[in-house]
Amino acid sequence: MNVSYRWLLDCVPGLQLTPEEVGRHLALRGAPLEGMISPGQGLEDVVVGRVVSAEKHPNADRLTLCEVDGGNGVVSVVCGAPNVLEGAWYPFAPVGAVLPGDLKLEEVKIRGEISHGMLCSAKELGLGHDQGGIYQIHGEFTPGQSFVDAIGLDDVTMDVEITTNRGDLLSHLGVARELASAGKGTVTIPEFPDDPHVSLSFERHTQEARVGNVGIRIEAPDLCNRYLGVVIRGVFVGESPEWLQQRLRGAGARPINNVVDATNYVMLELGQPLHAFDLNRLEGTSVVVRRAQEDENGFTTLDDETRALSADMLMICDAEKPVAIGGVMGGLESEVSDDTVDVLLEAALFNPGSIRATSKILGLSTDASYRFERGVDPEGIERAVSRATALIVAITGGVIDGPVLDCCPAGFEADVVSLRLSRIEHVLGVSFTSAEVQSLLKPLGFELVDDKEGVLDLRVPGFRSYDVTREIDLIEEVARTHGYDKFPAEMRPYRPSTVPDHPMFELEDELRGALAGRGLFEAQTPAFVPESEGDVQVANPLTTTEPFVRRAILPSLLRIVEHNFAHGNRDVRLFEIGTSFRKAGKGEPPHEETHLAVVMTGRREPPHWSRQDEFITVWDLKALLEAAAHISYAGAAEVTVEPGVVHPFREELAFVVANVEGHSMGHGGLVSSAEMDVPVWAGDVWGFEIMLPSDPPRSAAPTHVPLPIFPAIERDLALVVPIGNSAAELDGLIRDCGGTLLESLELFDLYLDLEKDGGVRSLAFRLRFRAEDRTLKDKEVDRSVDLILRRLKEELNVEPRR
Amino acid sequence: MTDDSLIAALRKFETEGLAAVRDASDIGALERVRIELLGRKEGRISLVLRGLSKVSPDQRPALGQEANRVKEVVSTAIAERERSFFVDRSIDREDLTLPSRPPWEGGIHPVTQAVDEISRIFRDLGFTRARGPEADTEWYNFEALNTPLDHPAADEQDTLYLTDSVLLRSHTSPVQMRTMERHDPPIRIIAPGWVYRRDTYDATHTPCFMQVEGLVIDEGVTFVDFKATLAEFSRRYWGPATEVRFRPSFFPFTEPSAEVDVKRVITRQDGTREEMEWLEIMGAGMVDPAVIENAGYDPERYTGFAFGMGPGRIAMIKHGVDDLRRFFENDIRFLGQFAS
Repeated sequence: MNVSYRWLLDCVPGLQLTPEEVGRHLALRGAPLEGMISPGQGLEDVVVGRVVSAEKHPNADRLTLCEVDGGNGVVSVVCGAPNVLEGAWYPFAPVGAVLPGDLKLEEVKIRGEISHGMLCSAKELGLGHDQGGIYQIHGEFTPGQSFVDAIGLDDVTMDVEITTNRGDLLSHLGVARELASAGKGTVTIPEFPDDPHVSLSFERHTQEARVGNVGIRIEAPDLCNRYLGVVIRGVFVGESPEWLQQRLRGAGARPINNVVDATNYVMLELGQPLHAFDLNRLEGTSVVVRRAQEDENGFTTLDDETRALSADMLMICDAEKPVAIGGVMGGLESEVSDDTVDVLLEAALFNPGSIRATSKILGLSTDASYRFERGVDPEGIERAVSRATALIVAITGGVIDGPVLDCCPAGFEADVVSLRLSRIEHVLGVSFTSAEVQSLLKPLGFELVDDKEGVLDLRVPGFRSYDVTREIDLIEEVARTHGYDKFPAEMRPYRPSTVPDHPMFELEDELRGALAGRGLFEAQTPAFVPESEGDVQVANPLTTTEPFVRRAILPSLLRIVEHNFAHGNRDVRLFEIGTSFRKAGKGEPPHEETHLAVVMTGRREPPHWSRQDEFITVWDLKALLEAAAHISYAGAAEVTVEPGVVHPFREELAFVVANVEGHSMGHGGLVSSAEMDVPVWAGDVWGFEIMLPSDPPRSAAPTHVPLPIFPAIERDLALVVPIGNSAAELDGLIRDCGGTLLESLELFDLYLDLEKDGGVRSLAFRLRFRAEDRTLKDKEVDRSVDLILRRLKEELNVEPRR
Repeated sequence: MTDDSLIAALRKFETEGLAAVRDASDIGALERVRIELLGRKEGRISLVLRGLSKVSPDQRPALGQEANRVKEVVSTAIAERERSFFVDRSIDREDLTLPSRPPWEGGIHPVTQAVDEISRIFRDLGFTRARGPEADTEWYNFEALNTPLDHPAADEQDTLYLTDSVLLRSHTSPVQMRTMERHDPPIRIIAPGWVYRRDTYDATHTPCFMQVEGLVIDEGVTFVDFKATLAEFSRRYWGPATEVRFRPSFFPFTEPSAEVDVKRVITRQDGTREEMEWLEIMGAGMVDPAVIENAGYDPERYTGFAFGMGPGRIAMIKHGVDDLRRFFENDIRFLGQFAS
């Protein structure tokens, strides 16, 4: 909401606050300033100039050669506009002035005549449309006086943030009321020049009113509580007086013509949106308030856009067709134009929900719809229509024809809300007396109806009827007007939460700590992905390229690796914990899982002068995958290998993380070059993604195993293994045969001979034997080793290397 | 020899052996030490072990344990010394100013770090962490929270829908209702998580971002507790000299509602103090009785407060990051600045 500081001063005479102070007071009332600008900003160099003489340019038919008194002597100025009048006042930019858009004026020669400055149009000053030339201002001025002061641009436009519940603050009156209730003055509705002080009579009906040949009928009483129409005949449409234009500009609005300006003025002042129709363009000179009909498709609004209508939209129609989208925007055809003679002025109360729905469907939010959605004062409508009528009469020369046509299917009845003093203390923690509460709420317009036994019955004023309907709403008003800062803030004892800390957070913390400790950085990427990477579609996506939410995290991380590659970062190790979305039953929310993804490329360790660089390999990936699986599943899931991958020439290595039932919990391996752009200089990219358990196991406290007291015996076995037998098979068999005496088994060497027997591998294991209760004898170990060798030969055709 | 003197001899082998290992200048010298002490036939320790059968049975275990211990210690020392002959030849003992050899640095994302710090403080204040789904229904996201779908407040956070009634949550507040449904008061939780809005990317907006929700429900919780708890949090997070301001605001699910602002006071290295601008860091308020009623609690008995804040914005302020999008680019040079 743009508030003009000067207008506010008119509404609260004697207000002793600067715009900044007004802002601070409003902020403490819940309506902070978002910013402030002066409508005259950038026009400081422009002065008021009087045209002393104007004659045709000797060398150009369309140019005028003027003598202008800009306060600094009379200078000659060449002007391109046709409407220069001798003796009239204009904004004048002398040589050296800077205009909006950083345009600096210099002396120029135009067709042989030197121009010492420029007479400006409204557009050049950023003040509106060009209406056929330069901008004449009316009144008594001194040549050279500041243009900004002269036309009242020395105002401050305050951008006040109004929360959606406070429709009553969307007017100067509303803001003034809030300031006054804070003890900053009394509200008055300002006088305007030549007020004819009209006194209107009302022709009141429930759904249909008619006087003479003008009629109003409400056919959709559920969407329109009240509709008032005033006929004003014989208006002269033209420019508004300067004072009115100043107020509008100060409030950030553009003057259009006197009739429209009058409706805007009253809306900005009192909060009631109004609309003026050209009465003679209404078929049957009547108005019907009804829903759009099915065959009424395209409707052209006054911004010259054709809008598609739908059946639940409330339309203002004449006898035949829609002429306005009720509460949103008028139609092009019936708008007030220069030829308008008779006007029908509309003031209505529309259903907020319906206006919001229409505005949403059309994607069209206007000053009117914005106010109707938030609730317009039902008790203020008559005052608004009277004021607008008076204003139109005063500035257009029109006359009121007949009483106000007033259709009111649903009259307003104020709410009375009860407020218990005990409940105030229960919620706010501080007690208030009845007198204190009254002194806080009365200035806001709440009237005491009854006060007994600690319960106050308060009548809610119409302008607060939308947001104050319950006791708690009044309690908020008490807290707000008392001042939040006046409440104490001391810590008091509390009882512990019954909600246990969710175990997923602990798991995530542990994973993050472990992975960061191993030299990976946590990444965060948006969940939106192209169709190829998601199952679940967003109905109203932000972009057409990423209309899905992701089912996996790894592809997003690969994009991040590409970004890093593009910036020359070769060593990239990242992980992310995020949500994967999968389709569930129709109409149900998607199935969500938490995933961990890891991606690594580049060197294993930072380069160092003491050694050669080593690069991340499949073994680094596998170690990390094992660690992640262990942390997440505490032994209930293991890293295995996809079948058939024991092959020295196989390029794609792939791991599977499987739980005890054999279900896959994730996978990992070398990222295929089809998945991402890898520059030639970059190393292999390794990645994995695992699903995290939704209810992670709490890992049991480890049980201490006493350290051995008897010596161990070590034996090394070098085994010749045909390609096709995996290390895991050997490992399993050796452990099986070794039994409890085999304390550990470690692969310490691997040698590949591709020449021999179509390729063999030699794997060397170190076996460590130990007994818990005695010193092992060599013979016992020999027996174990013999058994291992025999079974290796029998079951896997594996023999010791000779 | 007596057993005591055998033990004394073993200890002597240990001390002398370790010294000999340390002094061994090459692999050959080391091998001679090994043979002398641990050689199968004539090694001194081996001899003791082999002679155990001649010791009286009641003293055998003690002596055996000691002999094995010494054997382990000496073997380990030999193995270590042996490795030192092959590894780290590159150590230049003359110039220790050469750069060290650290492992790769890793780190937790700055926004997660902010979430963690916020969580730590609230956990110290008795809060536990709760979770809820990111895709939820209109009921949990709006209606249960006293936000009618046809109220402009439902529009303020322009929502991304999956189907007619299923959406990506536009705030973490749905966790309030989901927690209250499953637990009885006293409730004292925070709920960090992702939220989604139909916002285009710019310096201060992204279509998804982290939020931390908070909810307290119990008997006798008042506006005073609300102010005290959030002021306490703010001072712990932003520094003890921080000023905290509560301004009236509007959220459909709290009443009275407030914006919480902080003004930090920064002490420079030279001891001068500088007051910073007021910063808006939280939306909060007393839980609306309609929400308490929707949860199936008696609003006459239970009261509470709720709050929500954006750790992304907080991380921006804390670290001086000028553009929220940096957090999504994940350039490792950027992430490296927040390494732990």
